[in-house]
Amino acid sequence: MVEEKSLLAYKCKKCGQLHYPFRMRCKKCGNLSQFEFDTVPLPKNGKIVTYTYAYNLPGDFAVPKLGLAIVELENGMKVTGQMKIANPKIGKAVKGKIEIVRNEGFTERYGIVFY
Amino acid sequence: MPTELESLLRPKVSDAPPFPAKFMQLADGTTMVIRSVERDEIPLLLEYIQPLIKVERDYYDIVAARVFAEVLAQYVYRIQDEYIFIGQINGELATIVNGRTLSPGIGVSLHTIAFKRGLQIGAHGFAAKMEYHMDFLNQDEVMIVAESPIGFRKFLIGYDLEKRPQVIHELGGVPSYALTRKTFDKVRGTLVTGRRPVPKDLLDKAKAEILPPSDPPVMAGDILAASRSVYDSTGSAFRGQRPKQEMGVK
Amino acid sequence: MQEVYIIGIGITSFTRLDFPLYEIAAFPAMDAMKDCGITEIDHLFVANLGSGRINRSTGLASAVVDTLSLTPAGAESVENGPASGASAIKAGLMAIASGMHNVVMITGAERMREANALDATEFMATITHPLAEQIYGVTLPAMAAMFTRLYMEKYGVTERHLAMVAIKNHHNAMFNRFAHLHQVITMEGIIDSPEASTNNPYVAEPLRFFDCCPVSDGGACVILANKEIAKKIKKPLIRIAGVGQATDLHTVHERDNPTDLLAVRRAAAQAFKMAELKPKDVNVAELHDAFTILEIAESEEVGFFKKGEGHIALENGVTSLKGKLPINTSGGLKAKGHPVGATGIAQVHEIVLQLRGDAGERQVKNARVGFTCNFGGFGNNVVCLTLVRED
Repeated sequence: MVEEKSLLAYKCKKCGQLHYPFRMRCKKCGNLSQFEFDTVPLPKNGKIVTYTYAYNLPGDFAVPKLGLAIVELENGMKVTGQMKIANPKIGKAVKGKIEIVRNEGFTERYGIVFY
Repeated sequence: MPTELESLLRPKVSDAPPFPAKFMQLADGTTMVIRSVERDEIPLLLEYIQPLIKVERDYYDIVAARVFAEVLAQYVYRIQDEYIFIGQINGELATIVNGRTLSPGIGVSLHTIAFKRGLQIGAHGFAAKMEYHMDFLNQDEVMIVAESPIGFRKFLIGYDLEKRPQVIHELGGVPSYALTRKTFDKVRGTLVTGRRPVPKDLLDKAKAEILPPSDPPVMAGDILAASRSVYDSTGSAFRGQRPKQEMGVK
Repeated sequence: MQEVYIIGIGITSFTRLDFPLYEIAAFPAMDAMKDCGITEIDHLFVANLGSGRINRSTGLASAVVDTLSLTPAGAESVENGPASGASAIKAGLMAIASGMHNVVMITGAERMREANALDATEFMATITHPLAEQIYGVTLPAMAAMFTRLYMEKYGVTERHLAMVAIKNHHNAMFNRFAHLHQVITMEGIIDSPEASTNNPYVAEPLRFFDCCPVSDGGACVILANKEIAKKIKKPLIRIAGVGQATDLHTVHERDNPTDLLAVRRAAAQAFKMAELKPKDVNVAELHDAFTILEIAESEEVGFFKKGEGHIALENGVTSLKGKLPINTSGGLKAKGHPVGATGIAQVHEIVLQLRGDAGERQVKNARVGFTCNFGGFGNNVVCLTLVRED
């Protein structure tokens, strides 16, 4: 049974503030004890806040262009991800999938891609 | 005797269709005309290319050396099915692009050299070549390699060309990329530029004379050019020049 | 606190320089020492981003202090992304304001072109968040592009407005012999013409080639001193009246309002408060236009224009060389160039020229108050400086 992958948000055990990406010290209550975060899977669907098609990419991409977007997820948090949408628009509803987004040498990076 | 020998050594006369001149506007508002060269214009072109063989920067030296050889070969009838186009701005030479036919249906893009930087002149020249191969020579594929990283990123990655590692491009050693008709039709809108026909006075001016480039790439003569005491529009200073100067080499 | 004055300035051409990095940092320092006639330097700060990775050279400040024969003076590098220059100036200012040193040299340099274009792009992208942005392949132009799209949607900024910034800055750079690009561009050539898509291709939609600054090598230097020493130099008295710095959340997506540049707003407010001046007192400004949209956005966030009206002021010529508030008289990062470590110092170099009355054909008449904004990361670490002429 393959475990479903998600982006993880980090929830402060003291005050409940959600963080994505991880932050060592809670941005709301300033909690100084480390490891006081629970992981919470982020929803995968949302709507486009802004987007671009980037050219002139770093060498390991070797494709002419790459779609990137900032998406507001169903729980109100925003994430950056790749985008494979034919006609993107600000506000368009999108669904996300966790895939390999970059191959740095021999390291595969997983991230979210929006369709 | 000499006539028979010479006819053995010469390429067959080319039946390739002519390239109708086109013109385009550049970023600074000036206009460039791209046209094919006549044989009797070649000696003048060689004079303009030659100084670039000494510019050890951005691969100007190797590209200029090869273009010199290819253009000279055309003049002395020692290359088959080559075309040579030039771009002129107010009559001044701005770019030379060339290529040839490898076999029926397959073309080879040879070189693109720009005498003025910063205005995407090479991009316009390259696009003219691709249009010629596809729309006028009706070829199915064009083999391309890049000598410079600038060309590589812009054209080979930028147009998502197909890798053809088994084909060794005649420029030596490096595996080729290919522009196929399918890709060309897909990117035609963004790749091919320029308009036809060229207004008569513009074309007449271009055909009248190929003026020398006013601001070609040069090697900076003074290693202290960090304060631009020796002006060079492409901008650089070479410490490597000092040993040459001290040894008396110009 | 002691008052801090700028007594000497120096700069190289911004172009491709095939000298070792520490010489690119040292060359303008020689000019700066000649400018003020002082060679006894108490301390040196060097601003630089890429020495370790691109130029395979660490401990840059030690190499610079040696090549300038300034040993045994203390020396360190300061790194704050593209805001390294202004951060280094701030470090020097604090050294003098505290009374710990009397004369401090700040030199910044970058030799980006030792790497090829692909490596340089990838290197600049390392300023984004490693886990939440970099893994997706975001580049700085991509971040700026997403920001631009929102600005266009929200405030009605168009590609034409972006082109106006580039055309203005290219025009100004024609009068600056140290600028990287001496190239006039026209609206016709880069936007209107049928060939515009080749002349001005997209780098990251909607940003185009002429919306992004070039990759440059170069160096710039300023020498700071306290009032006693400054008064002995026979040059106009230029004081750093205010400095401000602020940070913001690292990832662009986490910010509540992605069109706000809160770090710019806060840093600028601090710089004005310390100088006891207001935005309307400024006669000439250098704003960090690594992408043309940033000149427009920063001009609003520092307080020159209301939010969403920067592009209207631009359209009306307010920020052109002959306008009421010229911005980027040097050509800005767009045309003058952007050697990352040197940029913040080069901005101050230009303002000093303007306040001294030495800016030649690009001189702003009666310039008495100048302002710089050095933008680090993508708006998450910003340093602003207010400069005044006292005599």
